[in-house]
Amino acid sequence: MEALEQFLPQVWFVILGLFLFLYVTLDGFDLGVGILSLTASNEESRSILMTSLGNIWDANETWLVLVGGTLFGAFPLAYATVLHALYIPVSVMVGGLILRAVAFEFRENSVRSKQLWNFAFGAGSFMAALGQGFAVGTVFEGIAVDTAGHFVGGVWDWLSWKSLLVALTLIQGYVLIGSTYLVMKTTGTLQQTHYKTAKLAAVTTFLGAVFITVSTPVFYEQMRDRMFDPPLFYFFAAIPLLGSLFVALLLRSLGKEQERMPFVWTVLIFLLSFLGLGLIIFPYIIPPQITIYQAAASPSALVFMIIFIGFLIPIMLFYNIYNYVVFRGKVTQAHESD
Amino acid sequence: MDFLSDTVVLSRMQFALTAIFHMLWPVLSTGMAIYLVVVEGLWLKTRNRDYYLHARFWAKLYVLNFGIGVASGLPMEFQFGTNWAPFSEAVGDFFGSILGFEGAMAFMLEAGFLGIMLFGWDRVPPLMHWLATIMVAFGANLSTFWILTANSWLQTPTGGEFIEGKFIVSDYFQAILNPFMLNSFLHMFFATLETSLFVIGGISAWYILNRRHPEFFGQSLKVVLAVALVVAPLQIFIGHLSAEQVYHYQPSKLAAMEAQWETIPAGSSPAWSLVALPNDREGQNKWEVKVPGMLSYLLELKPTLSEPVQGLNEWAPQDRPHMVGLIYYSFRIMSGIGIFLAGLMGFSVWRWLRGKLTAEAIVDQKLMLWGWLLAAPMGYVAVECGWIVRCVGRQPWTVYGELRTADMATPLPAPEVLTSLLGFAAMYSMLFVGALYFGSRIIRKGPNLELPLPQSVSKDTLEVEPMQHQPDQRPVETQQ
Repeated sequence: MEALEQFLPQVWFVILGLFLFLYVTLDGFDLGVGILSLTASNEESRSILMTSLGNIWDANETWLVLVGGTLFGAFPLAYATVLHALYIPVSVMVGGLILRAVAFEFRENSVRSKQLWNFAFGAGSFMAALGQGFAVGTVFEGIAVDTAGHFVGGVWDWLSWKSLLVALTLIQGYVLIGSTYLVMKTTGTLQQTHYKTAKLAAVTTFLGAVFITVSTPVFYEQMRDRMFDPPLFYFFAAIPLLGSLFVALLLRSLGKEQERMPFVWTVLIFLLSFLGLGLIIFPYIIPPQITIYQAAASPSALVFMIIFIGFLIPIMLFYNIYNYVVFRGKVTQAHESD
Repeated sequence: MDFLSDTVVLSRMQFALTAIFHMLWPVLSTGMAIYLVVVEGLWLKTRNRDYYLHARFWAKLYVLNFGIGVASGLPMEFQFGTNWAPFSEAVGDFFGSILGFEGAMAFMLEAGFLGIMLFGWDRVPPLMHWLATIMVAFGANLSTFWILTANSWLQTPTGGEFIEGKFIVSDYFQAILNPFMLNSFLHMFFATLETSLFVIGGISAWYILNRRHPEFFGQSLKVVLAVALVVAPLQIFIGHLSAEQVYHYQPSKLAAMEAQWETIPAGSSPAWSLVALPNDREGQNKWEVKVPGMLSYLLELKPTLSEPVQGLNEWAPQDRPHMVGLIYYSFRIMSGIGIFLAGLMGFSVWRWLRGKLTAEAIVDQKLMLWGWLLAAPMGYVAVECGWIVRCVGRQPWTVYGELRTADMATPLPAPEVLTSLLGFAAMYSMLFVGALYFGSRIIRKGPNLELPLPQSVSKDTLEVEPMQHQPDQRPVETQQ
């Protein structure tokens, strides 16, 4: 029984990690394209940008709903405490997601107010990314809780230069993956533009990541101990090295104007950063105090959820992939509004 | 203005605001999805091009609603954690899992196939497309199922017990199949369907009244009518069953629905209050109009009550719902609309049987068409009123009889909640105005009757077998 009480929360930590990774990658390029739309030079290219997302933005965003739902069900304490602590960043994120979602629908039907909805789409994407960045940064940095795991900090606790740094890096990362997605989906001048934005974002993301990697052991005592602990040390040494290699390969493939590889390298960079963050945080779910075992729902709830959600994971992945396969290829013109 | 510094009140207002606004969109997208499955299926079966055009036209309104539904629904999910953290912690074991199921089973299915349904006409074969439409509809209705399961459990919690304020589930299936679940789900399922049918019917009536494509929209009106014939009466029946359940399981809610302050003993045949002016503070109605002997028929379909109807004064003021007037009138409005819609449906079917719904005759059915136009927004009003009865009537409990709403709010500083409340209010007002504006634009623009069939289908029809070739019989001069 004790082994089960260890094992089940770990399974759910991995499932939650999978959903979060899928969200960050998929809605990441989605939000990145949104932020990039602020820089689009004309209405036609903006239309192509939005068309490239038309069939998938909603499915991508749904992974966030899943992250929320599984966190609520599998780790109710973490759901309650983390969202309480992140009241403002979460509200900003939700507000941003609302704005960009309706901008999609309203822009499609508008005639005179197109510019307004264009801006709402870009600004909403930016707000969502910013809120998420502060949320990640704050969880990483630690949330003040009492022994029962209830939040005891203030509403502005999430605002610090370190969480700001994480937020800016995440935004850069989204711009990077958005750019490489557009390189894959577009042609001509639009593609050329995003080779450039991808290079720029690759450099800024990398700088941010380096800074976070270096500052983590310097400023967080607890994480320093974990990171220099022998077996894990090799991982924590390997991740930045491998990450730097991937960034170099990404820049090379951008230089050679490859079409798909930049996106692949970016996804690998995302995966690696994600593993790094996961390893540092584990076994905590509300760092620096509450572990996944303390925050987990009852074993019966976890088993029940595995039965109902676990078997759906391959099915969900299957039809999401099918959706991408159906709409593969370049977007050369906007959807015709009939 | 004390409430401006009361976090519980502000959080409740925020939840009510987001829920009331959010509800407006999924109601239509859930019910309309079924309509889209029906018309697309009719197209595949009959190959009548008009059905295809219906599928394409109504899908435009559908997607507008769907997008706003998704956008306005996000705050709902996160609000449980941000504003109701103690609640989330107490019931996460069950309530949270159910929301997780909604995401994984229902919402993802809907979102995953939506792209194909909207943009995939030329990219997948017609049957695959229909399957995508079915999946979207199935996903949407599965959402209704899980949400209503979760909400019903709040009304009639079963399947476990509260230990030190935390709900521990002992039997998940018992918790899912809680006493309210089935009827609540069916009531909401029919509510989305009925609302959508009368919206589609109302818009069709508007076109016919304006003599725009009367034949085309006469067709959609008839599809709607054929489905409503079953749905409208059934909804009244399910509604009755739901009220009966409230009578058994939530006596304080029933008392508020009927503004009944004093207990009525079993064996009597009490009057039913039609209109009243309830007064919370004095614990009585200022005045009312009653129908003698009616209440026992409404509750039990019998001349005398077999159980007593408990009055609100049985409970201490802090243990019974407030805003009795709101609950009382919401209930009456909802029921009244249900009866009106069924009546309109009956009237329309009668006109249909008399042969008045043909393309030529339908434009003269002014009374019926105006009735439908008037009915278009009514479903929404009924749904909102129903939810007010359901959730305001449950107060002061979040989990009926177990957890008090006042103890379940996150201890946040009031100014922060007020700020987010105002932010959501502004944003939702924008959504509402935008949805009306852009929705009416789609309607005014009307269907594109020139739209070509999907590529794969038009290829089929062009490939005429050589055997079937008919030589042109016209004189040579008129051949091109």
